[in-house]
Amino acid sequence: MAKLKNLDAPAKVKNYSDFQNEKGATSLLIARIASYVFLVFVTVMCLFSFYLLIINSTRSNAELQSGFSLLPREHFFENFGNAMKKTTFFLPQGLLNSLIIAAATSILTVYFSAMTAYGIFVYDFRGRKLADKFILLVMMIPTQVSAVGFVQLINQFKLVNTYWPLIIPAIAAPATYFYMKQYIEGALPLEVVEAARVDGSNEFRTFNTICLPMLKPALAVQMIFAFVGSWNNFFTPALVISKAELMTVPIMISIINSDLHSQAGDLGKLYMYIFISIVPVVIVYMFLSKFIIKGVTLGSVKG
Amino acid sequence: MKKRILAAVLATASILGTVAGCDSTNTSSTAPTESKDNNSSTTEESKPEDGGETKEEGKVLNIYAWNEEFKGFFEKYYQGLEWEVELEDGTKEKKKFDKAPGLETLKGVTVNWIINPSDGGVYQQKLDAALQAQSGAAADDKVDFFLAEADYILKYTNSDFTMDVSTIGVTTADTQYNYTVQAASDADGKVKGVSFQCCPSALIYRRSIAKDVLGTDDPAEVQKKLGTWADFDAVAAQAKEKGYYMTASYVETFRTFSNNVSSAWVVNGELNIDKAIEDWTTQAATYLDKEYTLPDGVWGDQKNAQMFAEGKTMCFFGPAWYYNFCMGNAMDKEKGCYGDWAVTTGPQEHFWGGTWILAATGTDNPTIVADIMKAFTVNEDVCSALIENEAQFTNNSKVNEKYATDPKFGNAFLGGQNDVALFVELAKGIKFEHKTNYDQLLSEKYPEYMLDYFQKKITKDEALANFYKFVNDTYADVKTP
Amino acid sequence: MGKKHKSISYAKWGYIFIIPFFVVYAVCTLVPLFSTFLYSFFDYYTTMDFRTIGPNFVGLQNYIDMFTPDRTGAIDLLNYTGNTLLMWVMGAVPQVLFALVLALIFTGIRLRIKGQGFFKTVIYMPNLIMASAFSMLFFTLFSPVGPVNQVLTQITGGDPFLFFSDIWATRSIIAFINFLMWFGNTTILLMAGIMGIDQSLFEASSIDGATSKQTFFKITLPLLIPIIVYVLVTALIGGLQMYDVPQIMTNGKGGVDMTAQTLVMQLNRMIGGVTKNYGKAGALSAYIFIVTGLLSILVFKVTGNSSGKKKAKKGGK
Repeated sequence: MAKLKNLDAPAKVKNYSDFQNEKGATSLLIARIASYVFLVFVTVMCLFSFYLLIINSTRSNAELQSGFSLLPREHFFENFGNAMKKTTFFLPQGLLNSLIIAAATSILTVYFSAMTAYGIFVYDFRGRKLADKFILLVMMIPTQVSAVGFVQLINQFKLVNTYWPLIIPAIAAPATYFYMKQYIEGALPLEVVEAARVDGSNEFRTFNTICLPMLKPALAVQMIFAFVGSWNNFFTPALVISKAELMTVPIMISIINSDLHSQAGDLGKLYMYIFISIVPVVIVYMFLSKFIIKGVTLGSVKG
Repeated sequence: MKKRILAAVLATASILGTVAGCDSTNTSSTAPTESKDNNSSTTEESKPEDGGETKEEGKVLNIYAWNEEFKGFFEKYYQGLEWEVELEDGTKEKKKFDKAPGLETLKGVTVNWIINPSDGGVYQQKLDAALQAQSGAAADDKVDFFLAEADYILKYTNSDFTMDVSTIGVTTADTQYNYTVQAASDADGKVKGVSFQCCPSALIYRRSIAKDVLGTDDPAEVQKKLGTWADFDAVAAQAKEKGYYMTASYVETFRTFSNNVSSAWVVNGELNIDKAIEDWTTQAATYLDKEYTLPDGVWGDQKNAQMFAEGKTMCFFGPAWYYNFCMGNAMDKEKGCYGDWAVTTGPQEHFWGGTWILAATGTDNPTIVADIMKAFTVNEDVCSALIENEAQFTNNSKVNEKYATDPKFGNAFLGGQNDVALFVELAKGIKFEHKTNYDQLLSEKYPEYMLDYFQKKITKDEALANFYKFVNDTYADVKTP
Repeated sequence: MGKKHKSISYAKWGYIFIIPFFVVYAVCTLVPLFSTFLYSFFDYYTTMDFRTIGPNFVGLQNYIDMFTPDRTGAIDLLNYTGNTLLMWVMGAVPQVLFALVLALIFTGIRLRIKGQGFFKTVIYMPNLIMASAFSMLFFTLFSPVGPVNQVLTQITGGDPFLFFSDIWATRSIIAFINFLMWFGNTTILLMAGIMGIDQSLFEASSIDGATSKQTFFKITLPLLIPIIVYVLVTALIGGLQMYDVPQIMTNGKGGVDMTAQTLVMQLNRMIGGVTKNYGKAGALSAYIFIVTGLLSILVFKVTGNSSGKKKAKKGGK
């Protein structure tokens, strides 16, 4: 697979559709219609749950308790106000905390995974194959498996109620490494690295300024995944954090959930929390997905 | 739902406003004279901050809890913070409880709530970790008190992490209900904390359906016809004939049985299924088979839907907090049946829920902790406020009885019935016996695993086997057949 | 991959580049992992009254217990493995198929789909919702008084259908949620993979007059193999870790007669609660690890063969 790039790139061709087969015009039309039908179907399927979440965030606790409805009600701002009230914890603070952790996590994950993949792909060193196989192997270990030992470790190092145990492990993300490796094999010709050396670039600079930009679509993809994964993670933060001012949004949601069957219970507030918690990830996604789309043009330029 | 409750609470409060105003002149029943610590703290207030020559109290009060319910009561009635109520017409009004004891005792003290979700056992894990680190923790980081529920309270009372509250000057008042004291006591009878509420659970029935089935909706008459399980079963059959369900969840009666067991869930390290639990199993199997009830959980949607006016269910079981805060569907303006309800004893006395305040060994604020415990049990102003503003049934029989005998006191949701009067009687008959550390999960999971058998998916033995597997996987030290 | 990369004297850089990963991995995962596996040879658990029993060395006892049949002769562990794999396959098959079709639509330059940005955003959106929120929604949707049953009872006029008291309905709903949450994710991976393919290859095939079918099977699919392997392996690993959706949908019970109990739900019973059974959990963890490893190797082997074909073809060019 590594040799893929050794194929000679032909002279630049402006527009592929110029080569479109005339006979295929009708079948293309059918394909296009079928595609749209399929896309609309998928869209409805995806948006339905969002629609329900949004509707639910406009309904009061009583309305939510009394069953299902497809029509919005007028309690959006009331729920919003309740969600934004400072109790033990404060939602804007939680959003900020989640943002800090998710941003740090996703940046570390993609940067160090790309770096590791680059190190193993570009350099020929003893134990290189072993290192690659090792990461593949450990990728298969479920996170829950090491959770107990991890908590003991955190306690030993007195890292409870800090963000380090949430952020630092992101440096070693086997699955992201695996993806980067697969991608680099297809997208990074070794000649580029050698050319940079000839120009006198040091190895780190080559990686940072030449290699990383070529990996943009992959970086963006993995960054989204890492960001969302961290943003929605309840498991690890709940093990590490107990101070209100450090809590992330999923922990807050879980506390509101344990309030449900008490006097302080409010389903409307719960759905509002869920709704608000989705907004930042949607924004991050929209922002990063631009890079993925841009990746197309990048891809053709680099050829 | 919230608005309706508020309206109801405020309505009763306004009726009572004058009564309470008169009564609250005798405020002397608070703490100050009971112990040395308290005396020093009362003298301390006249001095500047650093005057404590005998025992310096910590400046940070650390409280562990799993939700915000008690925090709300604490802030309003102990700390004396201002809060807002929404009136029937939608306007808001600021309120403040001027007699809050904390206005004095909490001067210069920071109250620090450490709230963790109960989901996945996170609360207990965090609390346990904090308690285990207590001896080495800095004074301001020490747990001062924490909250616990009846289902796992033994775990803490029987440990050294909680302390005998008599050592900090809290003695058990005879106005406290016996079962709440039993629950907070360790195996040797040392009391480790107090409950700020009492949760006797009643039979809650639909008046209109009772009239149709039994020919009466009067609580005393209904009680005569539903006073034993045999009667209850017979009425279930009558109800079915008329097209009604007796209960809306097959687990509905479980607590009534499990509160009245004669042996514990675990005896000598072995899982034990008590006769009462067996009886429930038989009853639930019959009820589902004959469609006297629905195959839904206690918190299920299907059950909740039965609370609407169009619902066909006659009986629910629950304490005051249940119908005041969890029967939103019955209170719904369009589809509900507000006022069509009443409460009575039912076949057996039992309780459901309740939250206990336990003193953590090593607290650096013993005086404040003691004062808080007293505030929520013997302070009549606080207890009255809890009844009037929060629809609580308090752990102070004197205050409760005051409302029980008040002819003007009534709950509009229950068609004007004075429910406090019933609970005062019920609370006397509740037992807290044959409890173990394992009760919470065992009582929750047993009915769930038996459902497969009730629904005839598998045999009873297979269902039991699945339950045993759960027990084995969760509790390594419990043996199963 | 080819062995010779010429640039030999730079070997030390290889170590420098991979050191952060390995150090962090060793500390944060390997050390805890080692203790996990070590505990599997011990009787070691905590109790509700704050006692810790063990660790007492018991050899392979925990493993033997794990594979001991119960009274009916069934081995629970194999049941849970079967449940996990079954629900994974039920979700993963449509997941990969949908993703492949969508990725082709999005990257199919000839199709000139309008509003691509919108559609691409939409398909990934289910992944942004927390699994717990998703489960909560679906639980209400399929509850006996939920909208699905409202429609059903109106059509049939009978009693509501109890989805969560039915083995296959429960499994299907769980699988569907997993599918819905993850197919967008897979689509993006495949899209990025297709974009990584040298555009000149498509151009060349176009010039050669290849039909779109030929282009797909002869160029796109073979070159996508590394990414498809990635997708399958990570989906498999994710699938074997299936936890929160079935946990919430069955309230931790494991469905009717434990037919929706997954391996990690089982693990959670042992170490997720207030009491921990490190010994049993260690053995189960080792088992999950081995099963995942074996299945992943299987995926590599199966897909590896076809990528071998691809190499041969390229060699010919």
